[in-house]
Amino acid sequence: MIFVVDDDEIMAECVAKAAGCEVRIFTNAIEAMNEIADGIMPEMIFLDILLVGPDGFTFLNEMVSYTDTAKIPVVIVSSLDFAGRDLSGYGVVGVLNKEKMRPKDIRGYVGKYAK
Amino acid sequence: MEKEVDGILVAAHELKAPLAVLRQLALAFDEMDDRGEHIRSEMLSVSERAIRQVNDLTKVRRLEDGLFQMGPVSVRAVCDAVSHELNYLYGCNKKELSKSYRNKSKLVTANWDLLYSVIYNFLLNAMHYSDVNAIAELTVRDAKDTVKIEVRDYGPELPIDVWREMRRGWIEKPTSIAMRPGSSGLGLFIASRFSKYMNAQIGAVRHRNGTSFYVELPISRQASLF
Repeated sequence: MIFVVDDDEIMAECVAKAAGCEVRIFTNAIEAMNEIADGIMPEMIFLDILLVGPDGFTFLNEMVSYTDTAKIPVVIVSSLDFAGRDLSGYGVVGVLNKEKMRPKDIRGYVGKYAK
Repeated sequence: MEKEVDGILVAAHELKAPLAVLRQLALAFDEMDDRGEHIRSEMLSVSERAIRQVNDLTKVRRLEDGLFQMGPVSVRAVCDAVSHELNYLYGCNKKELSKSYRNKSKLVTANWDLLYSVIYNFLLNAMHYSDVNAIAELTVRDAKDTVKIEVRDYGPELPIDVWREMRRGWIEKPTSIAMRPGSSGLGLFIASRFSKYMNAQIGAVRHRNGTSFYVELPISRQASLF
């Protein structure tokens, strides 16, 4: 199962549809964190950064604080420009720009990091 | 002033978000008849154009800060990159793009991002205004101490008042232009601002069956070192 965290529901659904597998959508970081705290571990996470409430980096900080969640691959899906920034310390395995990404880009990450 | 700049950046982000969604929706169309494909192409074209123009507007505001470094830039590399990006949209809109490199000088003094946007806006205009199945021509040639990048389209004639503004090399406001149908002249406004920043000269030549827009950039003196 894959998590998509994005406060824009339509964008989240586009990502979910492109992923083509079992997906849970969360419109804020707290809901996603609670789900993980309840023991539901996603195979990977597509994460927006500018969220209502705690932002994507707050979520990532939480994730890397625990050994089991630190291993979950995260792909940032954002309109912000992260070119040249090394985010691997946050468990980020890729960055997709919302303005340029195509469904096949999402499927590429799903194929690589989710069974 | 700082707050104003912040406000513009926030507005730009706010404007981009729905456009990015629109683009994703267009890409998500998976069951389409011929009409569906046409609508999808239009959605994609409109959203990609608007996203870029919002990005460019943000850059226009940042020009005052002088953050865009000037240096030697390969004209051909920029033209190739822009045409590569636009090939898909040209195909969707049943238009063709031809390139012709006749320049001996390889490098100009410019900023890659700004020059990219100038050429992108010219080519997007050409795509938008050319007749169906028409070819837009991108030509690069030497002109004294400059390199001239020209985009010729085959569409409606450019109004004389816009041509005068282009001849002056400076377009005051996008809204002041009685541009060709369906345009506020935003792309040309952006191109004029970016060109001025790069000490480049933009202009237009009116033809009976279309327009040639051009930008002339100074040849990079660093080229002689290579």
